[in-house]
Amino acid sequence: MGKLTIGTFSSLVGSVSLDFSIKLSEAAIQKGHKVDLWVSGNGTMLSKKGQKAFKDYSALAKKVQELIATGNLQVTACEACAEARGYHKEDTMEGVKRFSMDWYLASTFTADRVLHIGGD
Amino acid sequence: MATKKLGFVVRTLPYKIEGSRLAMTHAISSQTVEIYLEDGDNVEPVVCFIGDGVLNCLKNQQAMKHYGLTSLEQHVKNSLLLDLNVLICKEDVDRLGLKEDALIMDAEDIGGETKARIVPYSEIQKAMESVDHLLFC
Amino acid sequence: MKLGVFLSDYRSGADVLDRLTADKLGIIFVGNGVYCATIKENGKTSSVLEKKAAYYVLSEDLESRGFSAANVDGRVKVVTYGDVVDLIFNDYEKTIWI
Repeated sequence: MGKLTIGTFSSLVGSVSLDFSIKLSEAAIQKGHKVDLWVSGNGTMLSKKGQKAFKDYSALAKKVQELIATGNLQVTACEACAEARGYHKEDTMEGVKRFSMDWYLASTFTADRVLHIGGD
Repeated sequence: MATKKLGFVVRTLPYKIEGSRLAMTHAISSQTVEIYLEDGDNVEPVVCFIGDGVLNCLKNQQAMKHYGLTSLEQHVKNSLLLDLNVLICKEDVDRLGLKEDALIMDAEDIGGETKARIVPYSEIQKAMESVDHLLFC
Repeated sequence: MKLGVFLSDYRSGADVLDRLTADKLGIIFVGNGVYCATIKENGKTSSVLEKKAAYYVLSEDLESRGFSAANVDGRVKVVTYGDVVDLIFNDYEKTIWI
């Protein structure tokens, strides 16, 4: 089985691109693959804890936590992008890591496939 | 020892969305990626501007003055300072009525030696074929 | 190269597609890109469908927008997220999102 690296820079709410990324991650994991999900720019919203699930808004936190718990999804947020938006280390959802942008490039080094979803 | 090549293909306009800005900052971060890799391994980006994305390369961007934001011009210059390969699509430059002297082609004023190149799309297509992974921004 | 293109928009991206060449090209309609697989504007199908490529449309995004497989152009295959994973790993060595 292989490794898929996904980079998603789109907002948590609005474009449904993060939803796509999570559903694709889930499908890949179900098929036995591993997934690295890098969120940068507005995509760092995904990393913030305390999200409330309302039906008019994408609610991904629960699914993200379930997939992280499988051991086959690693979610990493861009530290600079997160901090610029006021999301500090203590605001980060459990299981989500934070690193600098070079982490994403390093992830692509070992990835079999890379899908970059570049922004809103 | 291996080098993986990443093709950042920038097609979006600057400032309204972050796509091109984040493409540049991620490409530039290749300078420190080695800390995560085995000795001798590396990631080598090539940055290609196509479509309306060539407008990221205009000179005299005043984003810092008006919005306190690093301009895309500065990011392109920084990438040249760091010897990244920067390609700008000739057909799109011509289509948009731009001349070479309106574009950032070098970073000589900050000590850079590498120049950007305006190339036919066919050369950008070859670059896309030569990389390991493509990141359209 | 074997290239999979995720087309996520209805009104943009055609200019990029026009210039892309690949030994094997797949175009996967996702998000608002599904309208390219379903809508006939002024009686005409999307010009995106004229390219020499294999075409796919994501069923979840199709149905989210009120379409069913019956609405999809005959040139396009309806796929699920699981199928997309297989396309990424087995059919296309590089993938892009536009």
